[in-house]
Amino acid sequence: MKLLTKTTLYFLIAMVPLLVVAGIYLFMQFSKELDHRMDEELVAEEVQWIRYLQNESDNGTTFILRTPELLIYPVNAPVATYPTIQDIYDTKANNKIPFRQLSHIVPVNGVPYQIIIRKSQEQKSALEVNITRIMFFVFIGLFATTILFNWFISTRLWKPFRNSLEKIRNAELQKMEAIRFEKTAIEEFNELNASLNSMTTKIHNDYVNMKEFTENAAHEMQTPLAVVQSKMELLLQDSNLTDNQVQSIMDASMALSRLSKLNQSLLLLAKIENNQYETNETNNLTDITKKYLKLFDELIKDKQIITKTNFEKDFILNLHPFLADSLISNLLGNAVKYNYSGGKIIISVHNNRYQISNTSNLPPIDSQQLFKRFNKSKNSADTSNGLGLAIVKRICDTHNLSITYSVENGLHQFNIQKK
Amino acid sequence: MHKHALIISILFTNSIKQNAAFINFIEMKVLIIEDESGLQQSIKKYLEHQGFVCEVVGDFVTGMEKVYNYNYDCVVVDIGLPYGSGLDIVKQLKKIESKAGIIIISAKNALEDKLKGLELGSDDYLTKPFHLSELNARINAIIRRRNFGGSKTILFNEIRLDPEALRVTVNEKTVELTDKEYQLLEYFIANQRRVLTKAAIAEHIWGDEYEQVSNYDFIYTHIKNLRKKLIDAGCEDYIKTVYGTGYRFTDI
Repeated sequence: MKLLTKTTLYFLIAMVPLLVVAGIYLFMQFSKELDHRMDEELVAEEVQWIRYLQNESDNGTTFILRTPELLIYPVNAPVATYPTIQDIYDTKANNKIPFRQLSHIVPVNGVPYQIIIRKSQEQKSALEVNITRIMFFVFIGLFATTILFNWFISTRLWKPFRNSLEKIRNAELQKMEAIRFEKTAIEEFNELNASLNSMTTKIHNDYVNMKEFTENAAHEMQTPLAVVQSKMELLLQDSNLTDNQVQSIMDASMALSRLSKLNQSLLLLAKIENNQYETNETNNLTDITKKYLKLFDELIKDKQIITKTNFEKDFILNLHPFLADSLISNLLGNAVKYNYSGGKIIISVHNNRYQISNTSNLPPIDSQQLFKRFNKSKNSADTSNGLGLAIVKRICDTHNLSITYSVENGLHQFNIQKK
Repeated sequence: MHKHALIISILFTNSIKQNAAFINFIEMKVLIIEDESGLQQSIKKYLEHQGFVCEVVGDFVTGMEKVYNYNYDCVVVDIGLPYGSGLDIVKQLKKIESKAGIIIISAKNALEDKLKGLELGSDDYLTKPFHLSELNARINAIIRRRNFGGSKTILFNEIRLDPEALRVTVNEKTVELTDKEYQLLEYFIANQRRVLTKAAIAEHIWGDEYEQVSNYDFIYTHIKNLRKKLIDAGCEDYIKTVYGTGYRFTDI
């Protein structure tokens, strides 16, 4: 529920009893006033009748007057100082008709007379109905204007809030520094925007720091690695070394180069995750595949692998060239590495699907483990660092690509499809 | 007196002969600007072995000073230096229209750095860690490319390489080599007498992807063919196999 709907609702909930109470009060006051007027009229009429009776009964005549609205007759009862006035209903007719009735026993020239004067209250009811109707309309009008006014407030007053919201919604980690929340005419929104500004600044700084950290981590690690590697290369030049010593240096430098590659791979993963390879460039995977088939030519020939390519059409992606290279070199590298001598590699693009499959002596990879980091095939004593497929997966994930793996007729197959 | 002169003259001719034999660049001066002293010394030692005259500095300020006051044939500069960025040294070199070739060596494999470096006018970019033989090969290539006036051919005893035409002659007789064989020979001559590991050779000729393959048998095939072609042309067998490691191209 919108904040404004909620406040409007609360407002109306508070208004309803208030209006009801006010309505009832108004109604009662009005009714009392009408009664008061009528009573005065009744009393004035009575006074006139008494005066008339007094004048006419001087000669000793006794009066009995009876009309629907007037009843005068002599009674044998004690006189009353004040008249009694009350509401009565005439039940003779089918529908009750309300009356206001004055009844008084007064002495007229020594004879007590009962005077009863009635006045219909139909007019009053009609008035009351009218007033109720008017009140109802006022009530509805108030409702409508409240809702209308709130809608107006919502569009006008909350505009800066919505602007800020839109900016937050479209915020991207890489472009944080470009986001600025403007000053508005409303203090609360200014506070909010000021906090948002300091938050985006902080996020941007943290992001920059993190980027710098990953870069620096690489720097700090690659430099000592470079020192060690250069020292070993120099050591290798020593002609007095025994075969064993040379072998040790070779083993050590192999391990060292693995360590360096591992470091680079981890860095690459971190950078992909930080979306540091944003680009507007498009790359054609079929071109890159052709490039790497040429590059890996020696290894393919060495293993006497037969390669088949079937590119129905281009497979164009919005992908950083470095990542495109990384994607294909990892997939093709694996297809060569885990192949057997005289095996096959089939690469095809059809139905907007990039497919690379290879023969292998290895059993199918467990799909749960497939893209996990440092997941190495246990039965191959290779120099893989177990990050290749994790990098492939990460590239696909961050570029709206789905990658699936399946084994069919001894062909291990990777499928890349645009989502 | 006479005896003395004779000795000097022998020494002199010897040194000329050696220089002519080992490298084509006599007294090529290289400035190495690198703060990591271990790496600095390794580079210096390797390059001096290959006949370069090396100067080393470890920070931005002295690096700038050297660049200002002396001429070099090649400057090897690290980006991350104390007191400043190597990129600014590259800028400075370009500003004073230095004739020196420039190689950036950086631990950062960041593409932006690489592009920026090349944009500023650096001739090459090498990511740490690298093989010293690779650095040496690249320095050779850059100096040769920049050596406009002088000869661009590479000589090693009876072998003559013409990098522009990718032509090889042995005793004035043309030898037909494949691209890979030519690159191998050029790399061998640049790093003559040094032991070259198969990993370094593979990376240089076939690219980064080849640095870590499970077997390097394919290198053997190419080297075998190169050696055969050279020997058939009447060349001495300079390619020596170093057991368990790689190869050495040497005349001693």
